Amino acid sequence: MSALPITKVRTIVDKIEDGGQGIKLFSLVDPDHWELPPFRPGAHIDLHLSGGLVRTYSLCNDPVDNKRYVVAVKREAEGRGGSIVLHDEVKVGDTIGVTLPRGGLDLSTDVTRFTFVGGGIGVTPFLSAAAWLKRMGRSKFTLHMIARGEPPLAELLAPLRKSGHLVIHDTSSGQRPDIAALVGRPLSDVALACCGPDGMIDDFEQASRDWPADRVHIERFVPPPLPVDPDAKPYVLALAKSQREIIVAAGQTMLSALIDIGVDVPASCCGGICGSCKVDWLEGQPVHRDRVLSPAERERSLLVCVAGSAKDRLVLDL
Amino acid sequence: MLDTLTPKSATGAVVPSWTGVVRYLHITPRAFLPMREMPELTLVAGKGIEGDRYMIGREEGFYSHKPEEGRQVTLFEYETLIALKRDHNIDLGPEEHRRNVTVSGVPLTHLVGRQFWLGETLLESTRLSIPCRHIEEITGKAIFDPLINRSGLNCKILQGGTVRVGDAVRNMQ
Repeated sequence: MSALPITKVRTIVDKIEDGGQGIKLFSLVDPDHWELPPFRPGAHIDLHLSGGLVRTYSLCNDPVDNKRYVVAVKREAEGRGGSIVLHDEVKVGDTIGVTLPRGGLDLSTDVTRFTFVGGGIGVTPFLSAAAWLKRMGRSKFTLHMIARGEPPLAELLAPLRKSGHLVIHDTSSGQRPDIAALVGRPLSDVALACCGPDGMIDDFEQASRDWPADRVHIERFVPPPLPVDPDAKPYVLALAKSQREIIVAAGQTMLSALIDIGVDVPASCCGGICGSCKVDWLEGQPVHRDRVLSPAERERSLLVCVAGSAKDRLVLDL
Repeated sequence: MLDTLTPKSATGAVVPSWTGVVRYLHITPRAFLPMREMPELTLVAGKGIEGDRYMIGREEGFYSHKPEEGRQVTLFEYETLIALKRDHNIDLGPEEHRRNVTVSGVPLTHLVGRQFWLGETLLESTRLSIPCRHIEEITGKAIFDPLINRSGLNCKILQGGTVRVGDAVRNMQ
Protein backbone atom coordinates (compact mmCIF):
# COMPACT_ATOMS: atom_id res chain seq x y z
CA MET A 1 0.00 0.00 0.00
CA SER A 2 1.36 3.41 -0.93
CA ALA A 3 1.23 6.37 1.43
CA LEU A 4 0.05 8.72 -1.28
CA PRO A 5 -2.86 8.47 -3.71
CA ILE A 6 -2.35 6.97 -7.13
CA THR A 7 -2.11 9.90 -9.51
CA LYS A 8 -1.14 8.28 -12.79
CA VAL A 9 -2.34 5.56 -15.11
CA ARG A 10 0.11 2.66 -14.97
CA THR A 11 1.06 1.46 -18.43
CA ILE A 12 3.48 -1.08 -19.81
CA VAL A 13 5.50 -0.55 -22.99
CA ASP A 14 4.00 -3.24 -25.21
CA LYS A 15 5.76 -2.45 -28.47
CA ILE A 16 8.40 -0.11 -29.85
CA GLU A 17 8.46 0.36 -33.63
CA ASP A 18 10.67 2.34 -35.94
CA GLY A 19 8.74 5.22 -37.48
CA GLY A 20 11.61 6.34 -39.69
CA GLN A 21 13.49 9.66 -39.67
CA GLY A 22 14.62 9.22 -36.07
CA ILE A 23 11.13 8.52 -34.77
CA LYS A 24 10.04 5.65 -32.57
CA LEU A 25 6.46 4.60 -31.97
CA PHE A 26 5.69 3.50 -28.42
CA SER A 27 2.59 1.45 -27.77
CA LEU A 28 1.51 1.64 -24.11
CA VAL A 29 -1.01 -0.77 -22.61
CA ASP A 30 -2.52 -1.65 -19.26
CA PRO A 31 -0.67 -4.53 -17.51
CA ASP A 32 -3.80 -6.69 -17.95
CA HIS A 33 -4.70 -5.23 -21.36
CA TRP A 34 -7.73 -3.60 -19.77
CA GLU A 35 -9.35 -0.69 -21.60
CA LEU A 36 -7.50 2.59 -21.00
CA PRO A 37 -9.21 5.89 -20.13
CA PRO A 38 -10.88 7.24 -23.28
CA PHE A 39 -9.53 10.13 -25.30
CA ARG A 40 -10.69 12.60 -27.93
CA PRO A 41 -9.13 12.56 -31.40
CA GLY A 42 -5.85 14.45 -31.23
CA ALA A 43 -5.62 14.37 -27.42
CA HIS A 44 -2.31 14.19 -25.59
CA ILE A 45 -0.89 12.60 -22.45
CA ASP A 46 2.04 13.27 -20.16
CA LEU A 47 4.61 10.51 -19.81
CA HIS A 48 6.38 10.42 -16.44
CA LEU A 49 9.91 9.22 -17.17
CA SER A 50 12.94 8.40 -15.09
CA GLY A 51 14.73 11.29 -13.46
CA GLY A 52 11.46 13.11 -12.85
CA LEU A 53 11.06 14.07 -16.50
CA VAL A 54 7.50 14.71 -17.63
CA ARG A 55 6.89 15.00 -21.36
CA THR A 56 3.72 15.55 -23.35
CA TYR A 57 2.97 13.62 -26.54
CA SER A 58 -0.05 13.48 -28.84
CA LEU A 59 -1.86 10.18 -29.19
CA CYS A 60 -1.62 8.85 -32.75
CA ASN A 61 -4.20 6.11 -32.68
CA ASP A 62 -7.94 6.10 -33.27
CA PRO A 63 -9.87 6.65 -30.00
CA VAL A 64 -11.84 3.47 -30.75
CA ASP A 65 -8.56 1.59 -30.33
CA ASN A 66 -9.10 1.85 -26.59
CA LYS A 67 -6.61 -0.65 -25.19
CA ARG A 68 -3.45 1.20 -26.08
CA TYR A 69 -1.95 4.65 -26.28
CA VAL A 70 0.39 5.12 -29.24
CA VAL A 71 2.84 8.02 -29.17
CA ALA A 72 5.45 8.93 -31.78
CA VAL A 73 8.67 10.35 -30.37
CA LYS A 74 11.42 11.95 -32.43
CA ARG A 75 14.87 11.73 -30.89
CA GLU A 76 16.00 15.29 -30.30
CA ALA A 77 19.70 15.20 -29.45
CA GLU A 78 19.59 18.87 -28.52
CA GLY A 79 16.24 18.65 -26.77
CA ARG A 80 15.41 18.70 -23.07
CA GLY A 81 16.16 15.00 -22.57
CA GLY A 82 12.77 13.30 -22.64
CA SER A 83 13.09 11.92 -26.15
CA ILE A 84 16.59 10.65 -25.40
CA VAL A 85 15.37 8.74 -22.37
CA LEU A 86 12.58 7.22 -24.44
CA HIS A 87 14.83 6.29 -27.36
CA ASP A 88 17.89 5.14 -25.46
CA GLU A 89 16.60 3.74 -22.17
CA VAL A 90 13.00 2.64 -22.42
CA LYS A 91 12.47 -1.01 -23.37
CA VAL A 92 9.50 -3.25 -24.08
CA GLY A 93 8.07 -4.35 -20.74
CA ASP A 94 9.02 -1.17 -18.88
CA THR A 95 6.42 0.60 -16.77
CA ILE A 96 5.51 4.20 -17.55
CA GLY A 97 3.03 6.29 -15.59
CA VAL A 98 0.89 8.55 -17.74
CA THR A 99 -1.73 11.19 -17.02
CA LEU A 100 -5.32 11.05 -18.13
CA PRO A 101 -5.63 12.18 -21.77
CA ARG A 102 -6.59 15.81 -22.19
CA GLY A 103 -7.29 18.24 -24.99
CA GLY A 104 -7.95 17.11 -28.50
CA LEU A 105 -9.69 18.42 -31.56
CA ASP A 106 -13.27 19.60 -31.71
CA LEU A 107 -14.67 17.54 -34.57
CA SER A 108 -18.26 18.56 -33.96
CA THR A 109 -20.79 17.78 -36.62
CA ASP A 110 -21.56 21.40 -37.53
CA VAL A 111 -18.23 21.40 -39.32
CA THR A 112 -18.21 19.34 -42.50
CA ARG A 113 -14.68 19.92 -43.79
CA PHE A 114 -11.34 20.04 -42.04
CA THR A 115 -7.94 21.34 -43.07
CA PHE A 116 -5.09 19.96 -41.00
CA VAL A 117 -1.54 21.27 -41.28
CA GLY A 118 1.22 19.25 -39.62
CA GLY A 119 4.91 20.03 -39.59
CA GLY A 120 7.07 16.87 -39.37
CA ILE A 121 6.31 15.01 -36.16
CA GLY A 122 3.51 17.57 -35.66
CA VAL A 123 1.36 15.38 -37.87
CA THR A 124 0.65 13.01 -34.96
CA PRO A 125 -2.57 14.51 -33.54
CA PHE A 126 -4.05 14.49 -37.04
CA LEU A 127 -3.36 10.80 -37.50
CA SER A 128 -5.72 10.14 -34.62
CA ALA A 129 -8.28 12.64 -35.94
CA ALA A 130 -8.07 11.32 -39.51
CA ALA A 131 -8.63 7.73 -38.39
CA TRP A 132 -11.64 8.82 -36.35
CA LEU A 133 -13.16 10.92 -39.15
CA LYS A 134 -12.75 8.16 -41.72
CA ARG A 135 -14.34 5.61 -39.43
CA MET A 136 -17.26 7.98 -38.82
CA GLY A 137 -17.76 8.30 -42.57
CA ARG A 138 -16.75 11.96 -42.54
CA SER A 139 -14.26 11.93 -45.36
CA LYS A 140 -14.07 15.64 -46.18
CA PHE A 141 -10.70 16.53 -44.77
CA THR A 142 -7.21 17.22 -46.04
CA LEU A 143 -4.01 16.66 -44.14
CA HIS A 144 -1.13 18.82 -45.32
CA MET A 145 2.12 17.39 -44.10
CA ILE A 146 5.17 19.61 -44.30
CA ALA A 147 8.39 17.61 -44.09
CA ARG A 148 11.94 17.68 -45.29
CA GLY A 149 12.49 14.79 -47.71
CA GLU A 150 10.74 11.48 -47.29
CA PRO A 151 8.13 11.90 -44.55
CA PRO A 152 8.31 9.72 -41.43
CA LEU A 153 5.56 7.46 -40.12
CA ALA A 154 5.08 5.93 -43.57
CA GLU A 155 3.02 3.04 -42.28
CA LEU A 156 0.55 5.27 -40.47
CA LEU A 157 0.33 7.67 -43.39
CA ALA A 158 -0.17 4.98 -46.03
CA PRO A 159 -3.98 4.70 -45.67
CA LEU A 160 -4.33 8.47 -45.97
CA ARG A 161 -2.11 8.55 -49.04
CA LYS A 162 -4.16 5.82 -50.63
CA SER A 163 -7.47 7.56 -49.92
CA GLY A 164 -6.20 10.89 -51.24
CA HIS A 165 -6.47 12.72 -47.91
CA LEU A 166 -2.75 13.39 -47.59
CA VAL A 167 -0.82 16.15 -49.35
CA ILE A 168 2.92 16.09 -48.72
CA HIS A 169 4.92 19.29 -49.01
CA ASP A 170 8.61 18.47 -49.30
CA THR A 171 10.77 21.33 -48.07
CA SER A 172 14.14 19.71 -48.88
CA SER A 173 14.49 22.01 -51.87
CA GLY A 174 14.20 24.98 -49.53
CA GLN A 175 10.74 25.88 -50.73
CA ARG A 176 8.17 26.13 -47.92
CA PRO A 177 4.52 25.94 -48.86
CA ASP A 178 2.42 29.07 -48.69
CA ILE A 179 0.48 28.45 -45.46
CA ALA A 180 -2.00 31.19 -46.36
CA ALA A 181 -2.86 29.33 -49.56
CA LEU A 182 -3.44 26.12 -47.63
CA VAL A 183 -5.68 27.89 -45.13
CA GLY A 184 -7.67 29.93 -47.64
CA ARG A 185 -10.50 32.30 -46.82
CA PRO A 186 -12.92 31.69 -43.93
CA LEU A 187 -15.75 29.34 -44.80
CA SER A 188 -18.64 28.61 -42.49
CA ASP A 189 -18.43 24.84 -42.65
CA VAL A 190 -14.65 24.46 -42.45
CA ALA A 191 -12.35 24.16 -39.44
CA LEU A 192 -8.56 24.45 -39.34
CA ALA A 193 -5.91 22.90 -37.15
CA CYS A 194 -2.15 23.14 -37.08
CA CYS A 195 0.64 21.47 -35.14
CA GLY A 196 4.30 22.03 -35.75
CA PRO A 197 7.38 24.10 -34.94
CA ASP A 198 7.00 27.68 -33.75
CA GLY A 199 7.82 29.34 -37.08
CA MET A 200 5.15 27.35 -38.87
CA ILE A 201 2.63 28.06 -36.11
CA ASP A 202 3.36 31.77 -36.43
CA ASP A 203 2.67 31.65 -40.17
CA PHE A 204 -0.49 29.68 -39.55
CA GLU A 205 -1.72 32.14 -36.91
CA GLN A 206 -1.16 34.98 -39.33
CA ALA A 207 -2.92 33.15 -42.16
CA SER A 208 -5.94 32.27 -40.04
CA ARG A 209 -6.35 35.62 -38.26
CA ASP A 210 -9.65 36.33 -40.03
CA TRP A 211 -11.14 32.97 -39.12
CA PRO A 212 -13.53 32.61 -36.16
CA ALA A 213 -11.51 31.56 -33.11
CA ASP A 214 -13.68 28.50 -32.50
CA ARG A 215 -12.78 27.16 -35.94
CA VAL A 216 -9.04 27.33 -35.45
CA HIS A 217 -7.06 24.90 -33.32
CA ILE A 218 -3.35 25.31 -32.70
CA GLU A 219 -1.13 22.81 -31.00
CA ARG A 220 2.44 23.66 -30.11
CA PHE A 221 5.18 21.15 -29.44
CA VAL A 222 5.61 22.64 -25.99
CA PRO A 223 2.10 23.12 -24.65
CA PRO A 224 1.28 26.37 -22.87
CA PRO A 225 0.50 26.18 -19.16
CA LEU A 226 -2.99 25.03 -18.28
CA PRO A 227 -5.48 27.91 -18.07
CA VAL A 228 -5.80 29.39 -14.61
CA ASP A 229 -8.17 31.73 -12.88
CA PRO A 230 -7.15 35.14 -14.25
CA ASP A 231 -7.43 36.59 -10.75
CA ALA A 232 -5.39 33.86 -9.10
CA LYS A 233 -2.01 34.83 -7.71
CA PRO A 234 0.87 32.78 -6.35
CA TYR A 235 1.49 32.91 -2.64
CA VAL A 236 3.87 31.61 0.00
CA LEU A 237 2.63 28.73 2.10
CA ALA A 238 4.56 28.42 5.33
CA LEU A 239 4.43 25.24 7.39
CA ALA A 240 4.99 26.21 11.02
CA LYS A 241 5.74 22.83 12.56
CA SER A 242 8.07 21.58 9.86
CA GLN A 243 9.64 24.98 9.29
CA ARG A 244 9.19 24.88 5.51
CA GLU A 245 8.00 27.40 2.99
CA ILE A 246 6.71 26.66 -0.49
CA ILE A 247 5.21 28.63 -3.33
CA VAL A 248 1.68 27.76 -4.36
CA ALA A 249 1.45 28.68 -8.03
CA ALA A 250 -1.45 30.70 -9.42
CA GLY A 251 -4.29 28.27 -9.99
CA GLN A 252 -2.60 25.44 -8.10
CA THR A 253 -4.37 23.94 -5.12
CA MET A 254 -2.77 24.05 -1.71
CA LEU A 255 -3.24 20.29 -1.59
CA SER A 256 -1.32 19.77 -4.81
CA ALA A 257 1.52 21.95 -3.57
CA LEU A 258 1.69 19.97 -0.32
CA ILE A 259 1.67 16.63 -2.14
CA ASP A 260 4.48 17.87 -4.38
CA ILE A 261 6.76 18.20 -1.38
CA GLY A 262 5.67 14.89 0.11
CA VAL A 263 3.32 16.14 2.81
CA ASP A 264 0.71 13.44 3.35
CA VAL A 265 -2.58 15.28 3.84
CA PRO A 266 -5.56 12.93 4.15
CA ALA A 267 -7.57 14.35 1.27
CA SER A 268 -10.57 12.56 -0.15
CA CYS A 269 -13.27 14.39 -2.10
CA CYS A 270 -10.95 17.18 -3.29
CA GLY A 271 -14.01 19.37 -3.64
CA GLY A 272 -14.45 20.94 -0.23
CA ILE A 273 -17.24 18.81 1.19
CA CYS A 274 -15.84 15.81 3.00
CA GLY A 275 -13.59 17.75 5.36
CA SER A 276 -10.90 15.09 5.49
CA CYS A 277 -8.14 17.53 4.53
CA LYS A 278 -8.95 20.05 7.26
CA VAL A 279 -5.84 21.80 8.53
CA ASP A 280 -5.48 24.59 11.07
CA TRP A 281 -4.08 27.91 9.88
CA LEU A 282 -2.15 30.35 12.04
CA GLU A 283 -1.49 33.53 10.07
CA GLY A 284 -2.70 35.15 6.89
CA GLN A 285 -6.15 35.39 5.31
CA PRO A 286 -7.53 32.20 3.79
CA VAL A 287 -10.05 32.17 0.94
CA HIS A 288 -12.13 29.22 2.05
CA ARG A 289 -14.39 28.01 -0.80
CA ASP A 290 -15.40 24.87 1.12
CA ARG A 291 -18.99 23.99 1.92
CA VAL A 292 -18.69 22.35 5.29
CA LEU A 293 -16.84 24.54 7.75
CA SER A 294 -18.88 26.78 10.01
CA PRO A 295 -17.86 30.43 10.41
CA ALA A 296 -16.37 29.51 13.78
CA GLU A 297 -14.38 26.65 12.30
CA ARG A 298 -13.10 28.88 9.53
CA GLU A 299 -11.56 31.10 12.17
CA ARG A 300 -8.99 28.40 12.80
CA SER A 301 -9.21 25.81 10.01
CA LEU A 302 -9.38 25.47 6.25
CA LEU A 303 -9.65 22.67 3.69
CA VAL A 304 -6.48 22.51 1.65
CA CYS A 305 -8.22 20.96 -1.38
CA VAL A 306 -10.12 24.17 -2.17
CA ALA A 307 -8.82 26.99 0.01
CA GLY A 308 -6.59 29.74 -1.30
CA SER A 309 -4.96 32.79 0.16
CA ALA A 310 -6.07 36.40 -0.10
CA LYS A 311 -2.62 37.61 0.93
CA ASP A 312 0.94 36.89 -0.15
CA ARG A 313 1.61 34.54 2.75
CA LEU A 314 -0.38 31.95 4.64
CA VAL A 315 0.87 29.93 7.60
CA LEU A 316 -0.47 26.46 8.33
CA ASP A 317 -0.13 24.42 11.48
CA LEU A 318 1.69 21.63 9.70
CA MET B 1 -42.77 11.45 12.35
CA LEU B 2 -40.65 9.13 10.24
CA ASP B 3 -42.55 6.14 11.56
CA THR B 4 -45.68 7.35 9.82
CA LEU B 5 -43.91 6.86 6.50
CA THR B 6 -43.11 3.21 7.09
CA PRO B 7 -45.63 0.36 7.47
CA LYS B 8 -45.64 -1.38 10.81
CA SER B 9 -46.47 -4.94 11.72
CA ALA B 10 -49.14 -5.85 14.23
CA THR B 11 -46.49 -5.82 16.94
CA GLY B 12 -45.35 -2.34 16.04
CA ALA B 13 -41.98 -3.33 14.54
CA VAL B 14 -40.99 -1.63 11.33
CA VAL B 15 -41.53 -3.87 8.31
CA PRO B 16 -39.27 -3.41 5.31
CA SER B 17 -41.40 -2.48 2.37
CA TRP B 18 -38.99 -2.71 -0.51
CA THR B 19 -37.36 -5.27 -2.76
CA GLY B 20 -34.86 -4.13 -5.33
CA VAL B 21 -32.99 -5.64 -8.23
CA VAL B 22 -29.41 -5.65 -9.49
CA ARG B 23 -29.33 -3.75 -12.79
CA TYR B 24 -25.62 -3.55 -13.62
CA LEU B 25 -22.35 -4.91 -12.28
CA HIS B 26 -18.95 -3.28 -12.87
CA ILE B 27 -15.33 -3.66 -11.81
CA THR B 28 -11.98 -2.24 -12.80
CA PRO B 29 -8.52 -3.49 -11.83
CA ARG B 30 -6.85 -0.12 -11.30
CA ALA B 31 -7.47 3.54 -10.57
CA PHE B 32 -8.50 5.67 -13.57
CA LEU B 33 -9.27 2.70 -15.85
CA PRO B 34 -12.79 2.41 -17.26
CA MET B 35 -15.25 0.24 -15.39
CA ARG B 36 -16.10 -2.94 -17.29
CA GLU B 37 -19.63 -4.33 -17.27
CA MET B 38 -19.85 -7.88 -15.96
CA PRO B 39 -22.71 -10.41 -15.97
CA GLU B 40 -21.74 -11.56 -12.50
CA LEU B 41 -19.32 -10.73 -9.70
CA THR B 42 -17.70 -12.91 -7.07
CA LEU B 43 -17.80 -11.30 -3.64
CA VAL B 44 -15.37 -12.55 -1.02
CA ALA B 45 -16.38 -12.05 2.62
CA GLY B 46 -14.24 -9.49 4.39
CA LYS B 47 -12.13 -8.78 1.32
CA GLY B 48 -13.89 -7.42 -1.73
CA ILE B 49 -14.71 -8.31 -5.31
CA GLU B 50 -12.50 -10.60 -7.34
CA GLY B 51 -10.67 -8.53 -9.94
CA ASP B 52 -11.63 -5.16 -8.51
CA ARG B 53 -9.12 -2.49 -7.54
CA TYR B 54 -10.24 -2.34 -3.89
CA MET B 55 -9.99 -6.08 -3.19
CA ILE B 56 -7.96 -6.32 0.00
CA GLY B 57 -4.51 -7.50 -1.02
CA ARG B 58 -4.76 -5.84 -4.40
CA GLU B 59 -5.04 -2.17 -3.39
CA GLU B 60 -4.84 -0.46 -6.74
CA GLY B 61 -7.72 1.96 -6.28
CA PHE B 62 -7.58 5.72 -6.08
CA TYR B 63 -8.30 5.53 -2.33
CA SER B 64 -6.29 2.40 -1.56
CA HIS B 65 -3.81 4.45 0.43
CA LYS B 66 -6.61 4.97 2.93
CA PRO B 67 -7.90 1.49 3.73
CA GLU B 68 -11.57 1.19 4.62
CA GLU B 69 -13.51 -2.03 4.98
CA GLY B 70 -16.62 -0.37 3.58
CA ARG B 71 -14.97 -0.14 0.21
CA GLN B 72 -15.23 -3.90 -0.32
CA VAL B 73 -18.28 -3.34 -2.49
CA THR B 74 -20.10 -0.14 -3.41
CA LEU B 75 -23.67 0.37 -4.61
CA PHE B 76 -25.39 3.10 -6.60
CA GLU B 77 -29.06 3.86 -7.27
CA TYR B 78 -30.24 3.54 -10.84
CA GLU B 79 -32.82 6.18 -9.95
CA THR B 80 -29.99 8.69 -9.49
CA LEU B 81 -28.96 8.25 -13.11
CA ILE B 82 -32.52 9.06 -14.12
CA ALA B 83 -32.57 12.08 -11.82
CA LEU B 84 -29.32 13.43 -13.23
CA LYS B 85 -30.86 13.42 -16.68
CA ARG B 86 -34.19 14.78 -15.52
CA ASP B 87 -32.92 17.50 -13.20
CA HIS B 88 -29.54 18.42 -14.67
CA ASN B 89 -29.65 17.12 -18.26
CA ILE B 90 -26.56 15.04 -17.56
CA ASP B 91 -26.21 11.67 -19.24
CA LEU B 92 -24.31 9.46 -16.86
CA GLY B 93 -23.99 5.78 -17.68
CA PRO B 94 -23.86 3.01 -15.08
CA GLU B 95 -20.23 2.45 -16.05
CA GLU B 96 -19.35 6.06 -15.19
CA HIS B 97 -20.31 6.47 -11.53
CA ARG B 98 -17.55 4.00 -10.57
CA ARG B 99 -19.55 2.04 -7.99
CA ASN B 100 -19.68 -1.72 -8.43
CA VAL B 101 -23.39 -2.47 -8.28
CA THR B 102 -26.20 -0.40 -9.77
CA VAL B 103 -29.51 -1.28 -8.17
CA SER B 104 -33.05 -0.09 -8.65
CA GLY B 105 -35.79 -0.04 -6.06
CA VAL B 106 -33.35 0.06 -3.16
CA PRO B 107 -33.41 3.05 -0.78
CA LEU B 108 -29.67 3.18 -0.22
CA THR B 109 -29.78 6.19 2.07
CA HIS B 110 -31.92 4.18 4.52
CA LEU B 111 -29.40 1.39 4.77
CA VAL B 112 -26.46 2.96 6.58
CA GLY B 113 -25.48 0.67 9.42
CA ARG B 114 -27.86 -2.04 8.28
CA GLN B 115 -27.46 -5.49 6.82
CA PHE B 116 -29.17 -6.57 3.61
CA TRP B 117 -29.03 -9.28 0.96
CA LEU B 118 -27.51 -8.64 -2.42
CA GLY B 119 -28.43 -11.82 -4.25
CA GLU B 120 -26.97 -14.62 -2.18
CA THR B 121 -24.45 -12.35 -0.47
CA LEU B 122 -24.96 -10.52 2.81
CA LEU B 123 -23.69 -6.97 3.10
CA GLU B 124 -23.48 -4.41 5.86
CA SER B 125 -23.35 -0.77 4.96
CA THR B 126 -20.76 1.37 6.70
CA ARG B 127 -21.58 4.81 5.31
CA LEU B 128 -22.95 6.77 2.42
CA SER B 129 -20.45 7.30 -0.35
CA ILE B 130 -19.42 10.85 -1.07
CA PRO B 131 -18.63 12.20 -4.51
CA CYS B 132 -15.11 13.32 -5.29
CA ARG B 133 -13.51 15.51 -7.90
CA HIS B 134 -11.66 12.45 -9.17
CA ILE B 135 -14.84 11.31 -10.93
CA GLU B 136 -15.17 14.65 -12.73
CA GLU B 137 -11.59 14.31 -13.90
CA ILE B 138 -12.29 10.86 -15.30
CA THR B 139 -15.70 11.48 -16.85
CA GLY B 140 -15.21 15.10 -17.86
CA LYS B 141 -18.74 15.73 -16.57
CA ALA B 142 -19.77 18.25 -13.92
CA ILE B 143 -21.37 15.74 -11.58
CA PHE B 144 -19.80 16.55 -8.23
CA ASP B 145 -22.55 18.86 -7.01
CA PRO B 146 -25.52 16.84 -8.31
CA LEU B 147 -24.16 13.71 -6.63
CA ILE B 148 -23.91 15.17 -3.15
CA ASN B 149 -26.00 12.97 -0.81
CA ARG B 150 -26.76 10.45 -3.53
CA SER B 151 -23.42 9.09 -4.51
CA GLY B 152 -24.03 5.53 -3.36
CA LEU B 153 -23.33 3.28 -0.42
CA ASN B 154 -20.13 1.73 0.95
CA CYS B 155 -20.46 -1.80 2.27
CA LYS B 156 -18.47 -4.63 3.74
CA ILE B 157 -19.17 -8.20 2.75
CA LEU B 158 -20.36 -10.42 5.59
CA GLN B 159 -21.21 -13.45 3.48
CA GLY B 160 -19.65 -13.88 0.06
CA GLY B 161 -20.95 -15.51 -3.09
CA THR B 162 -21.88 -14.77 -6.67
CA VAL B 163 -24.00 -11.77 -7.58
CA ARG B 164 -25.68 -11.71 -10.98
CA VAL B 165 -27.55 -9.08 -12.93
CA GLY B 166 -31.24 -9.56 -12.12
CA ASP B 167 -30.64 -10.79 -8.57
CA ALA B 168 -32.97 -9.50 -5.89
CA VAL B 169 -31.85 -7.04 -3.22
CA ARG B 170 -33.70 -7.60 0.05
CA ASN B 171 -33.65 -6.16 3.50
CA MET B 172 -32.35 -8.35 6.32
CA GLN B 173 -35.40 -9.79 8.06
